[in-house]
Amino acid sequence: MAHRDWLGLKMELPRARRLQLTLLSFLLPLLIWSAISYIPWLWHPSIRVTATGDVDYFTEEMELPRADFESEAAKMRAQGLAVPEGYRVNPLYLPAPHQVARAFYTGFTTEPRLPGEPWLHESLGHSIRTIFWGFFISSIFGLPLGILCGTYRFFSRLQEPFIEFFRYLPAPAFGALAVAVLGIDDGPKIAIIFIGTFFQQVLVISNTVRKVDPALIEASQTLGAKGWNLVRRVIIPASITDVYNDMRILLGWAWTYLIVAEVVGTMSGITYSINQQARYRNFDNVYAEIMMIGIIGFSSDLFLAWIGRLIFPWKRTARTASPSGASKPTLAAAAVRA
Amino acid sequence: MPTPLDSLPDYRKLAREVKARFERIRQRPVILSVRNLEKSFGAEMHTALDHVSLEIHRREFICVIGPSGCGKSTLIRIIAGLDQATSGEVLLDGKAVTGPGPDRGMVFQGYTLFPWRTVKANVMFGLEMRGKDKSTAEIEARQWLDMVGLGKFENSYPHELSGGMKQRVAIARALANEPRILIMDEPFAALDAQTRCQMQNYLLQIWRKVDVTILFITHDLEEAAYLSDRILVMGANPGRVVEFIDNPVPRPRNVAQFVSPEFLALKLRLEELIHPPMEIEEERLPMVKLTNAGDDVE
Repeated sequence: MAHRDWLGLKMELPRARRLQLTLLSFLLPLLIWSAISYIPWLWHPSIRVTATGDVDYFTEEMELPRADFESEAAKMRAQGLAVPEGYRVNPLYLPAPHQVARAFYTGFTTEPRLPGEPWLHESLGHSIRTIFWGFFISSIFGLPLGILCGTYRFFSRLQEPFIEFFRYLPAPAFGALAVAVLGIDDGPKIAIIFIGTFFQQVLVISNTVRKVDPALIEASQTLGAKGWNLVRRVIIPASITDVYNDMRILLGWAWTYLIVAEVVGTMSGITYSINQQARYRNFDNVYAEIMMIGIIGFSSDLFLAWIGRLIFPWKRTARTASPSGASKPTLAAAAVRA
Repeated sequence: MPTPLDSLPDYRKLAREVKARFERIRQRPVILSVRNLEKSFGAEMHTALDHVSLEIHRREFICVIGPSGCGKSTLIRIIAGLDQATSGEVLLDGKAVTGPGPDRGMVFQGYTLFPWRTVKANVMFGLEMRGKDKSTAEIEARQWLDMVGLGKFENSYPHELSGGMKQRVAIARALANEPRILIMDEPFAALDAQTRCQMQNYLLQIWRKVDVTILFITHDLEEAAYLSDRILVMGANPGRVVEFIDNPVPRPRNVAQFVSPEFLALKLRLEELIHPPMEIEEERLPMVKLTNAGDDVE
């Protein structure tokens, strides 16, 4: 009976179990990471030298592949010289969980190395601003156009074929052009996010608006609604909750364009910061900063889901939008609706 | 082969008081007249309606029945203005119908309440569309909700209501516009038997209190016999009027009449019209005998 409770086909799990599983979905990767980091005989392909022995090119603290170390040690043993000592470590680019956890704090408290370089919180702020403006400008145009295309076949036929084509042009391809037109600062970065978001947005939203139950429209017509009133009082409110969920997904897509956008022109924001930390070989900071992007994206989505439940009291069933990478909008939209 | 049903009175030989009732009804002004309506679909011009004509008098309760594909839905959609006829015309109070409008209220089978509006705001919708100010609309909406017995639920959202309650709100919403005619497309088909019976009684009560003509589609013969003044029986391929029957069951109606001779005679006649005896004969299934049926199976 017990396994049935956990693995019932298409059966909703009780709330406590859902929470346990949600927690586990994060804990499992963390456990694997911890195992690789803390169990010395798991992987650990390098040796950190603690005593050089008589190997002339060894220095203390240097790291080298285990096979090389072993062959040197064997050579020393054979010649009767001092044998080097060391312990097994993972490569530098795989820091342990506690190091990354510490970097979450120290990242914010460490002064930038170069004068004029931004602090971490300033880099993050810069990235969030870039996303915000890119998404905001895209929505100003994309939202009304999407609703228009979803409502009137005329606009749908007039706009969508071109947009459908344009959607396949990769946004980063416009990088050089954006720099030529908008300079090297934030302009081209916002433009990349705009291009990456806008065309998907129009298609996704028009698709959602088109799905409004025709019976609702007919019912409102028999009650005397027509023209602009029909759009404003029926079509928009009937699709608003789904459009809101679409916007959450689209915001997730905008985030995936952030890194390519920020390398356009002068590198800026979190991308610049990650790049610098990698150059200093502070990989714990690199991991922490990559995770921060995820945390900011994911938590803002949860926040928007919560807001959605507040402002749409007639739809209490919340659907978590997946902040996954871009795929065909119709597919993603279908997945969310499923 | 004579059956007990043959001893039923012929519904066409109406009693004197029933005849008098229909004479009174026919003296009322005609509210809706459908003239030579034709509707064809698709490239092969499949005929959904073939020269359908009828007249409905003020405050009549008309039920429309017919097998699937007889065009009853098409007919009422054209009357509602949601579909265009290929030829012919629909006149409401002598004026030709060109599109949907608030003078023809409609209640659909699926629940078409606006999920984002509260019950009261749903009823207010039509009033707002007609430009009534908010406080007047609110007062009127409350009155209509009280009439369908849902005053207590004015601030609920549709998803919090049962199916029967939703349809009552839909009726209140349509009636709030004070339409000349209320068109109902199988409104109770999705409800369970008990709720449906309840809703039929609610509808009869409402109809007595409000000056409205009702055009009611159903596939439930008993429902048609129980509710209607007259029953429009339609046939399929092509969709056409087979018979327009005067319902002899006296008013006011009550459930005890379900076994009255007039009721049964009418129902029998409807069954004959809808399912001609030929079709009803069951096809014998080509079953291989799999077991020795004993006394336990007849």
